Amino acid sequence: MSTAATSTSPGKWVVLPHFAFAALAFLSLSVLLLFSTDAFGGHYFHPKLLAITHVAVLGWATMLIFGALYQLLPVVLEGRLYSERLAHFTFALLSTGTILLAYAFWNFDVSWVMHVAACLLFLSFLLFNINVFQTARRAPKWTVEADFIVTSALWLLVTGLVGLLMALNFSYPFLPEEHVHYLKLHAHIGMAGWFLLLIIGVGAKLIPMFLLAHPVGTGKLTWSYACINAGLVLFILDHMVLRTGLLAPYAALVTVGAVFFLLYLRDARKTMQRKEMDLGMKQTFVALALLLLPLVLVFAVSIDLGLPQGVLSSVYLVYGISVFLGFITALILGQTFKTLPFIVWMHVYEAHVGKCKTPLPKDMYSHTLLRWQNISYLVGFVLLVAGVLLRHQQVILGGAIAFTVTAVLYAANVFQMLVHKAHDLKPFTYENANR
Amino acid sequence: MKMQTGDIESDVLESLKCVIDPEIGINIVDLGLVYKVSLKDNTLHIELTLTTPGCPMSGTLKTAVEQLLLKRYPNMAVEVELVWLPMWTPERITAEGVRQLGKL
Repeated sequence: MSTAATSTSPGKWVVLPHFAFAALAFLSLSVLLLFSTDAFGGHYFHPKLLAITHVAVLGWATMLIFGALYQLLPVVLEGRLYSERLAHFTFALLSTGTILLAYAFWNFDVSWVMHVAACLLFLSFLLFNINVFQTARRAPKWTVEADFIVTSALWLLVTGLVGLLMALNFSYPFLPEEHVHYLKLHAHIGMAGWFLLLIIGVGAKLIPMFLLAHPVGTGKLTWSYACINAGLVLFILDHMVLRTGLLAPYAALVTVGAVFFLLYLRDARKTMQRKEMDLGMKQTFVALALLLLPLVLVFAVSIDLGLPQGVLSSVYLVYGISVFLGFITALILGQTFKTLPFIVWMHVYEAHVGKCKTPLPKDMYSHTLLRWQNISYLVGFVLLVAGVLLRHQQVILGGAIAFTVTAVLYAANVFQMLVHKAHDLKPFTYENANR
Repeated sequence: MKMQTGDIESDVLESLKCVIDPEIGINIVDLGLVYKVSLKDNTLHIELTLTTPGCPMSGTLKTAVEQLLLKRYPNMAVEVELVWLPMWTPERITAEGVRQLGKL
């Protein structure tokens, strides 16, 4: 008898704490939203908004992506994760750094707390990069998806570096331009370089896999990679050196890159064998539809349309919301239920397969909670965007309440899975096999 | 009574319909993941593939097939080999698998 192939999956303590922290961060940012309705009436450089944004991008999105990537890197790169120990250190640094940074922004304490937070976060990104690079270096086959993932990790490091310099600059001014100048750089490298590239790299592999589709050729992905990176590099060059102020062509390049990815997924959908999509995949396609919003709004913030300052401030806020609480949050809310049940199932039932009758991953969470989570999320997003555009605090509060409901439902399902244990397993018989 | 090779192949495939792909929710035979079943010197040899290389389920499905066949044929040895060529494509799903996917 041959022994089973050793699984390439990392241990559960590498992956699962990230999901727990991310769920709590989503809940925290929703509660912070409840107390920040007054902050949406002006400029985006506001302590409360900066705190919420960093809880969203670090504690929620990046944390969950790190955890999911440790599980998915072996799938995408067809190899083993380089170091679980590095992953543990990365988690400790990212979680501590996020909490300290959120505290520092909320209280606008730009002293040592912010400096320490920024250093911890940069170190966390550095360790993450080492893990990703070493894992990729040992991959038996290099793919375009690997290009996306490795490059996105590099952009994350650059984002962290700019953030660290800005944090130090609060106390010891040395940067020649004002903060908002670097904030635009920091935000766009993070949005397009880290999140967009990473999501495309992983999504290009996972979404067709979940749809049981086999798209032919990766030409569109190669173009997507080239356009997004070219747009980003040219934007940085212009923003820091050339200063032509012509931002629209670079935004157009990034947009074209994202559209190539969407066209790739359209090809995949044409060949999909699954006729019905589950709630997780439906929510994923809601996220992809929401991606169109920032792709349009990026032109509104990069072309001088002659909008009054108040309206422009609102458009800037909606642009940020549409990326972090729109596209990225919607995607996480969907993909969590395509990945986490599977991960928990493997850790709980791997030893029982073939011996006992086991439940399926989709039986490990409440579909009713998930359905209501998706509904309350959409309600919250629409209300928040409408409230910001109308500058109406009650509407913003309505959005914040709906987001809090979403976060509670999400956390309930996530923790239900995280504490799942095998119990009352019946020995496998051919009679109960398909029941 | 000793089973013939042809009989045992169909019997093994029927048994393996009890192994459900946890993500997709249908059995590995109708998904087209079982490439070959053979019997030589009292050893059952199964060639199994997965829907995507690097799939985290590789160890789990392999173990499930082994355990199940050892239970079904206690007097035989079982070898399960993971193969990647030819690459699995959705066209390998049987008509019954397609029907089940439509119901999911």
